[in-house]
Amino acid sequence: MARPEDIPQPTRDAVLNLPCPAFETTPFVSGPPLSERRIAILTSAALIKRGDQPFPFGSGEVRFLPADIAPNDLLLSHVSINFDRAGWQRDINVVFPIDRLRDLVATGEIGGVADTHYTVMGSTDPAAMEAAVDQIAGQLKQERIDSVLLTPV
Amino acid sequence: MCALAHKLEERGFSTVAIASVRVQAEKTRPPRALWTSAMLGRPVGEPGDPVFQLRIIRAALALLQRTDGPVILEDFPDDPPGWPDNRDWVAPTTTSAGDFAGELTALLPQWQAAQVRFGRTSVGLSFQTPDTWPAFAEAVLAGGLPKVPQLDTTALAVRFLCDDIKALYGEVAQAAGSAPSARQVDTWFWRQTAAGALLQALRRTAMVSENNALKTVGGRFFVPTPWVV
Repeated sequence: MARPEDIPQPTRDAVLNLPCPAFETTPFVSGPPLSERRIAILTSAALIKRGDQPFPFGSGEVRFLPADIAPNDLLLSHVSINFDRAGWQRDINVVFPIDRLRDLVATGEIGGVADTHYTVMGSTDPAAMEAAVDQIAGQLKQERIDSVLLTPV
Repeated sequence: MCALAHKLEERGFSTVAIASVRVQAEKTRPPRALWTSAMLGRPVGEPGDPVFQLRIIRAALALLQRTDGPVILEDFPDDPPGWPDNRDWVAPTTTSAGDFAGELTALLPQWQAAQVRFGRTSVGLSFQTPDTWPAFAEAVLAGGLPKVPQLDTTALAVRFLCDDIKALYGEVAQAAGSAPSARQVDTWFWRQTAAGALLQALRRTAMVSENNALKTVGGRFFVPTPWVV
């Protein structure tokens, strides 16, 4: 649905008029062939481990998701109620495509999947996430991950 | 997500973002992004359709190999196949008119079947089990401010109770047969179930509450705006 005409109001106006940060420059990091890359997922779905506190509204934190977390241990705590959750209820991969990355490892199309993945609250101002990004970068370096796939909700 | 792509790339990592709202990607100009027409909430495509999901993931990751950026913003060419309503889908039967507790009890076997089918449940944010939901909701409707130990406020407790009720019913709606469209699930829940009516009542109660947190949260986060009655 991400065609504007498919999004019901007032969500349509909210997403189309959402203030977006402007960047004076755009960095562009190259890397090895895809078949050698190790990839992590960063999702803005505010996923939590079952039993943990849901993300607070406006939180700038990041939470780490181990790659081997059981699907039944994942809950979606994003603050917005104006997007579909029926898809998530059937299949975590529509938001957190961990099985699809594993498929691509099996076919040799990518080099590997990170041991750790990342989740934030997508409605939060990115300016409040500098510390979170530093945390993510530190873990990526520790695991020698070179590429990140970012998925919204 | 596009802003975080900038920030990660500044720190030395290659990124590619899947973009659900193209205009946001156009404004933020991440290094690489793939726009898809996938429904909000399903950025990687349709549930249970790994073939289509893989097409999106492959198209996104292919952008990592491009050298003609920044900025690369590509459109995924095809719509995910699950948009139209499914004429074969049969809504779960709800016979306990207006009786949330009775309706919920009657649907529990289908919820169990859904958990077997999908190997999991997305219910769990409220820290309450379904058998406690009706009494908790009734207490709120009666003007009380019940709490659960794991959550700081009644407002949060009701918010996540509403999330769990919607999740359970969403799973029940998909427990058997071929998948309904998202619109079919929503229409059934909000127009044909006692649970949907309960959430509307909780919203109305919250909005006249003297508890400001409950009023604020109830007005925004119990019922999606298109379904408010």
